[in-house]
Parts: sequence; C-alpha cells; structure tokens
Amino acid sequence: MSHTHKPGDGGGERHAAPQVDEITDFEVLEIAIRELAIEHGLFTAEDHRRFTEWTESVGPAAGSRLVAKAWVDPAFKARVMEDAVKACKEIGIDWAEPTGFGTPSDYMNLRVLEDTPTLHHVIVCTLCSCYPRPLLGMSPEWYRTTNYRRRLVRWPRQVLAEFGLIIPPEVEVRVEDSNQKCRFMVMPVRPEGTENWSEKQLAEIVTRDCMIGVALPKPGRTADVHPVQKARRPVQE
Amino acid sequence: MAARNELRQQQELIGAIQPALHVPQNWNYLIDHPLYKAYMHPPHDVGGQFDAPGVYEEKEEEQWELDTYVTCEVLGWRGVWNSEERRRRADNDLGYSQYLGIPYYGRWILAAARMLVDKNHISLAELIEKIAEVKARNAKK
Amino acid sequence: MPKSKAANKSETAAGKARFKVGDRVRVKDMPNLFYTRTQMYVRGVVGTIAECTYRDLIPEDEAFNRDGKLEQYYIVRFKQKDLWPEYPFENDTLQTESPERWLEPA
Repeated sequence: MSHTHKPGDGGGERHAAPQVDEITDFEVLEIAIRELAIEHGLFTAEDHRRFTEWTESVGPAAGSRLVAKAWVDPAFKARVMEDAVKACKEIGIDWAEPTGFGTPSDYMNLRVLEDTPTLHHVIVCTLCSCYPRPLLGMSPEWYRTTNYRRRLVRWPRQVLAEFGLIIPPEVEVRVEDSNQKCRFMVMPVRPEGTENWSEKQLAEIVTRDCMIGVALPKPGRTADVHPVQKARRPVQE
Repeated sequence: MAARNELRQQQELIGAIQPALHVPQNWNYLIDHPLYKAYMHPPHDVGGQFDAPGVYEEKEEEQWELDTYVTCEVLGWRGVWNSEERRRRADNDLGYSQYLGIPYYGRWILAAARMLVDKNHISLAELIEKIAEVKARNAKK
Repeated sequence: MPKSKAANKSETAAGKARFKVGDRVRVKDMPNLFYTRTQMYVRGVVGTIAECTYRDLIPEDEAFNRDGKLEQYYIVRFKQKDLWPEYPFENDTLQTESPERWLEPA
C-alpha cells in the first residue's frame, strides 16, 4: 500500500481528491454523509469549517493555564471550585463556543477535582470517552479504549502503576467515572521545588496526563511520553 | 442411560466454557434470568470487566477522523440529532462485533449514517448511490 | 433550535431535589433494555450523595429524542470495597453521576 503524498488540489473544500492512493471505506462514508447532509440542507459547508476551526483551536494548554493560575492565586482557585465554567472565561475559554450554547458533546457543566496530599483523583468515562474538550482538547487514544475503561474503575492503582504512577496506600485514590453531562479535570497538588515560579513555568509542568490524573506534575517533566501510532493520512494543516 | 446423560452434560459444559462458535442455535427455550440479563446488557457498559495490561498508545488523527467528528457534532449543532442519541447508536445499537471491532470514529460515522436513514433525512438508496459515486470519484487511475 | 440546547444549559436544582449532599442512597437495579447510562457495577450498591449537579433529561429519553420531565442529577460516591469484594485498599473511593430515578434512600 503506497503512502506517497501527491500535491493536493489546493485549499478549498475538504472533499477534493485524496492525496494518497487508497481511500478507506470510512473516509468514503464520511464524504458521502457530509455531501448528502449539505445537499439536503441539514448543515452548511461553512458550519463544518467553523466547527473544524474550533476543534483545531482547543488543546491542553488552556487546562495548564487554569491550574497554574489557581496555584498562584487562591482567590481564582476558589472561583474555579465555585463555578468552573465561569472561571474558565478568565483564562480565555468560553464553554459556550462555538455554537453559543456549548458543543453538542461537551455541555457546560465542568467540575474541577482538587487533589490534596491525601486525595488523588483520576478520570475515566467507562461508557464512551467523555472528556473536557474545551480545556484539554481531543482525548488521547488510550483513554477511549475498552482496556482503560474496563480496568481503571476496578484496578485503578494497577493501571496508574502502568503509567508509572504509584500512589501510597494511605492516600485515597478516587476514580471519577464521567458517565453523564458533567465534565471533569484534575487539579493536581502543586509540587515541591516550584517556589517563586511564574505561571508560565508552572503551566509547562501541568501536562494533559496530569489533568486526567495518570501523572503527577514535577519540575523538569514537561511532556507526556507514549508510543504514537502514525496516521496514514494525517490531518492537513 | 446414566452414562449417556453424563456425556451430554459434559459436552454442554465444555461447550459453555469454549469460545463461542457463532453457529445459529435453533432452539433456545431455556434462557434463564442471568442469561437473559447478559443478552440485554448494553455493550458500552464495560467498567469492571477483566482485561489484560497493555501499552497505552497515542494515535495521530486521520483527516477522515477529524472530518467525522466535525460532521457528527455539526449534525448535533443543527438539531438533526443530539449526542446521547449518537452514543446510544454508536456504542450500543451496533452490537458487540461492530462495537468491539470497528475503530472509534468508524462507529461515529456509521451511527450518523444510520440515524439519517432512520429519521428519513436521506434514503438508503440515495446513500448507497452516493457511496458508489464517491468511491468512483476517488478510484485509482 | 435543537433540543440539545435545553440540555446543555441545564437548570440548577432549586429546592426540587429529592436528595441532598450527605444522604445515603442505593442505586436501583432496574431492568436493562436497549439503553442506559447506569452502570452494572453500581447496581444495588449504597453510596453517599457527593454533589447535586444539574437538572436534565434522562439518557433513556434523550437518546430517543423524547422530551421528558427534567430530573435532578447527583454525583454519588462509593467505597471501592463496597463495589468490588476483592478490593484491597481501605480508603479508595469512586464517584459517578446518576439521575434521581435510579436512586432510592438507603
């Protein structure tokens, strides 16, 4: 199967000819559905573009900013715990976007789970893969797998150990099974060795895995490292 | 007689603990409550089931996966369906084989397709023709 | 406007909730058919109301595009030892969300 990339047809509609030799059945189906939906007036190509733009704009940097700001500003942290959706606006995230009433899948019911020295949270959605996209972007592949969803609720410490995280037995591990319309994010405990750090420095160590609860932030740890399966036809910039 | 009964019982027990052969059974009158309940269990409810440690991987997103996500969400935005309906269709109505075998976003787009046909927004005949047309348009030269 | 709009901007409780934070509740084991978001592993188990969240359609209605009465949702917290008999750590907990109809006083 060839992976040669030919030059595209230039910007414009995404249903131009593909840039590699083979097109998958799912890709065909998606194009068919999208074209029929547009032909029947169910939505417009402009709707699709706008929502794509929003999707490409979200990522975990927003969550990192929220945690870093909460760490340095106790009054902000209190506002986050009181009404997280409202507090998100202070870091530039509006959960009502891009429709004006929230995305169809993420809703507007964010709750931040605050870790303490005796309480560690970790999040899963056993039924599907509900995830706080406006703050963390798109969920990682492993979060969506039946493997993670089966095991985390019943063997959380074993699963955390596979992520390299061992929680002492006297610390309570609390699993949040995000099965309805609340969306959750972990606020980890601020680690030692970060005294007098700027918000920017703090945000760098609050990675996505820390906000799901499968990693702890620490000085020098600025990336989540997992093997990556490459796409055959990745998203075009 | 007793030995033949024991033989049949052993064969049934051995069959019960073998992986299923997926052959049609023409008589199934004795479905007790636990087995009925197991049949009716919604496939997406997997919390607490056994699974083995694996390697937790990331995956680079395919262009069609991003397009699928956006198409499904925009259908929700414009009121054609809502996300609970999507989850019901994509995570339960497809049945176990498709649920466990088809890639994540493959289930999303299948659910959207089925929904559009079920709710009469498009006809199945029209969808089949469009799929053929898209395939032909993108066929290798 | 899509029906989902009402669901996204869910009302908060305003004295209409049956349970309050701290109440002990049991998850009912209602029959399973076609769709539910109440997990098998919490059925019949007693937990504590941790939070009142919002009022919304129940999944069994919303998934079939039915307008129904809005119900109070709660986050219910369980001891892991009550969920899994073999669970070895004393202090661990799990919490998950449930609409009111799935809960009864314990």
